[in-house]
Amino acid sequence: MLSDIRVLDLSRWVAGEFATKTFADFGADVIKVEKPGEGSFTRAWGPFPEDRPDPERSALFLHLNTNKRSVVLDLRDDADREVLLALVRRSHAVVESFRPGHLEDLGLGPDVLRAVNPGLVLTRISAFGQTGPYRDREASGLVLQATGGPMNATGQADRAPLRKPGLLEHYTVGRSAAQATMAAVLRARRTGKGATLDVSGQEVLLAGADRRASYLLSAAYSGMTAPRGARSPHRHGATFTGPFRASDGFVMVYVTNQVFWNRFVELVGADDPGFRERYLDRQTVAGQDREEFLAYVADWIAQRPKVEVMEAAEARRIPVTAYLSVSEVMDHEHFRQRGVFVAADHPVAGRLEYAGAPWRMERGFALRTTAPLLDQHGAEIRAELAEEGVA
Amino acid sequence: MTDATDLPLSGIRVVDLTVVWSGPGAAALLGDLGAEVIRVEGNDRMSRQVSARTTKESIAATGYHGGTYPDKDPGARPYDRSAVFNWHARNKLAVSMNLDTPEGHEAFLDLVRISDVLLENNTNGVLEKLGIGHERLLEVNPRLVVARMPPLGMTGPMSGYLGYGPNFNSLVGIAAMDGYEGEEPDSAGENYHMDEAAPAGVAFAVEAALWDRENTGRGGLVEIAQAENVLVEIGEYFLDRQFNDRDPEVLGNTDPHALQDVFATADADRWVAVSVRDDRDWAALNGVLDDDELRALGADAAGRRTHSAAVRQRIGTWCAARPVDAVVAELVAAGVPVAEVMSEPRLLEDPHLAARGWFRERSHPSIGTHRYPGHPWRSDDFELAWGRPVPGFGEDNEYVYLTLLGMPREKYDDLVARGLVTDHQLV
Repeated sequence: MLSDIRVLDLSRWVAGEFATKTFADFGADVIKVEKPGEGSFTRAWGPFPEDRPDPERSALFLHLNTNKRSVVLDLRDDADREVLLALVRRSHAVVESFRPGHLEDLGLGPDVLRAVNPGLVLTRISAFGQTGPYRDREASGLVLQATGGPMNATGQADRAPLRKPGLLEHYTVGRSAAQATMAAVLRARRTGKGATLDVSGQEVLLAGADRRASYLLSAAYSGMTAPRGARSPHRHGATFTGPFRASDGFVMVYVTNQVFWNRFVELVGADDPGFRERYLDRQTVAGQDREEFLAYVADWIAQRPKVEVMEAAEARRIPVTAYLSVSEVMDHEHFRQRGVFVAADHPVAGRLEYAGAPWRMERGFALRTTAPLLDQHGAEIRAELAEEGVA
Repeated sequence: MTDATDLPLSGIRVVDLTVVWSGPGAAALLGDLGAEVIRVEGNDRMSRQVSARTTKESIAATGYHGGTYPDKDPGARPYDRSAVFNWHARNKLAVSMNLDTPEGHEAFLDLVRISDVLLENNTNGVLEKLGIGHERLLEVNPRLVVARMPPLGMTGPMSGYLGYGPNFNSLVGIAAMDGYEGEEPDSAGENYHMDEAAPAGVAFAVEAALWDRENTGRGGLVEIAQAENVLVEIGEYFLDRQFNDRDPEVLGNTDPHALQDVFATADADRWVAVSVRDDRDWAALNGVLDDDELRALGADAAGRRTHSAAVRQRIGTWCAARPVDAVVAELVAAGVPVAEVMSEPRLLEDPHLAARGWFRERSHPSIGTHRYPGHPWRSDDFELAWGRPVPGFGEDNEYVYLTLLGMPREKYDDLVARGLVTDHQLV
């Protein structure tokens, strides 16, 4: 679908690599420009087989760089810079995530790149943006979540704020960078005009549909500060949500309105007329009454396996789901039937199943090639440029 | 600086049938890009998740969502005043159209005929019941891009399961790795990450489909299984499982490569996040803390891993003795990654966001004047759209029916007289 788009990836970390993966997985020709010797940071991240570091067997790198090509260039070397500029000349977009100002220090700032290619989209990913008093502050994923995400409202009320797990914040920023880049590439197709994009990780997270943006507007409207708490402390009335322990794991319960409430009371109190009579059709449940209700529910769930609880609730159309582990997800009939994981061979890492299409469309996602070895395509790319007479 | 035709999606019309969080968030991104986004809303349903009957009194009785209204007052038009809706409502138009009536159905298909994109995130089967599944829509308009967002996809044994973001996070493996360090995953509570992941994914997919349409002349279906979209964000753990036959640990605020945590400060319920990624960060931190015991404990990365808890405890003691602003100022000056865990009121007064003009003040007759959250990204070359903050319910009825659809005035007046088209929600 995007096979007529060329993207140059100068990034070395998750956000930028995920942004360009999105293009590559939908058909674009994405060339990763890697640092001599070490390559991308994600090559050093892992996890690795048996936890033994190997730049060609980092799970993070293998996942984020499917369908890309790799060329090693020293951006301080004159000959390599000529190769880079030749690649810029024929690209629709360049994605970078250096510290603000670094590209300029290399003599490869927006003016230089856009002079060689006026239709170029230059996407600049950073923690706090390319301008403003915090521009040069150092950040980690945790710091980004603290300053941008809804972290003040996640975790338990009497404990420290809790970040989201994994590297989710970096992926989020990367997906927004991809969306921004694709939009500007569309605009360039129509108008012939390139663009420089400023993707601030903080602002991406602040605009988030994980409630952060609505919390901010609530604060502007009424001074509300979103509370922390394991079970939706902002919910009242006859509703409740949150995690519960089952006999073999956990379930997430999401009873958010009276229809779900009544169905849930019928399910849990199927053999207990007193419980049903006490809680059916209630508009509000508070204080001790609520504590007793939740204790009863917790006890009911704790006696049953997680999938059994989920299936019983689903049969009555109540949103309750099991916590599946990564292993269980990979083996689950639903995800197998849908072909969510796609197998492919890698010359060093071997045959592996990769997380596949994030969405489906005609001429959409395809795993054409696994992640490149460091500089795997260096000679090939230089030959292409020579053939095109641009370098 | 920007004229309206200069934006990436200028000239593109989007029909928005989305509800709740992720779908409307996606539509907002398309509006930012200059598309004309038309929300189609039945006056006989709560398409904005807000009941017309919400009052100050009903909020006082249940407490539910009171703080999301300006001055905690739902006013006469609660559906125009809720932050749960308004955070994503910028740049959108709103038309009253009941799809379960013959009149609404016909008008809807007329609108589809002259549109480029349709976005929906209803439960599987809802559109089919209304006779407007994607096959029918593509028959009416083969150039249409139909983006559907069933959480678990349109096929497969779980595709009919009910749920919200936290439910689907749990089904793809994310909830099981969420929680405080070394504890069970139920210690985390809820996170709504699936909702955060969908909008940009949908917007990218729509943009890509429009690129493809330039080449092929045809639109088509885009199926965004939101759970699969977010599953990709833990892709490395699926490979790790194959490498090492293990599942991810619950790490809380810690990290396998960096030394980090969230610490209390001397200010009540104000916390700081601090990360030490490498030896350089470590030296910078020690320049500030000047604690010989700390230096000895964490002289290298291996030491910092072995003594992580003790090292963090000493950093925590230092943070706890200082106001949050002092902690941040000293560590920032040294170049250590640090930030306060920002509450909403603190962000509203943050000087960096102010310098970047991130919040924008906007006015609407139903709501008054307030500051609104900004765009997720920006360009030096064009300004993303910033129209009115909210479409009042039915505010664009005349524009859509009379101007866009070319409906004769008497027919429109008849729909209004029969209560089929209104500027207020009935339920």
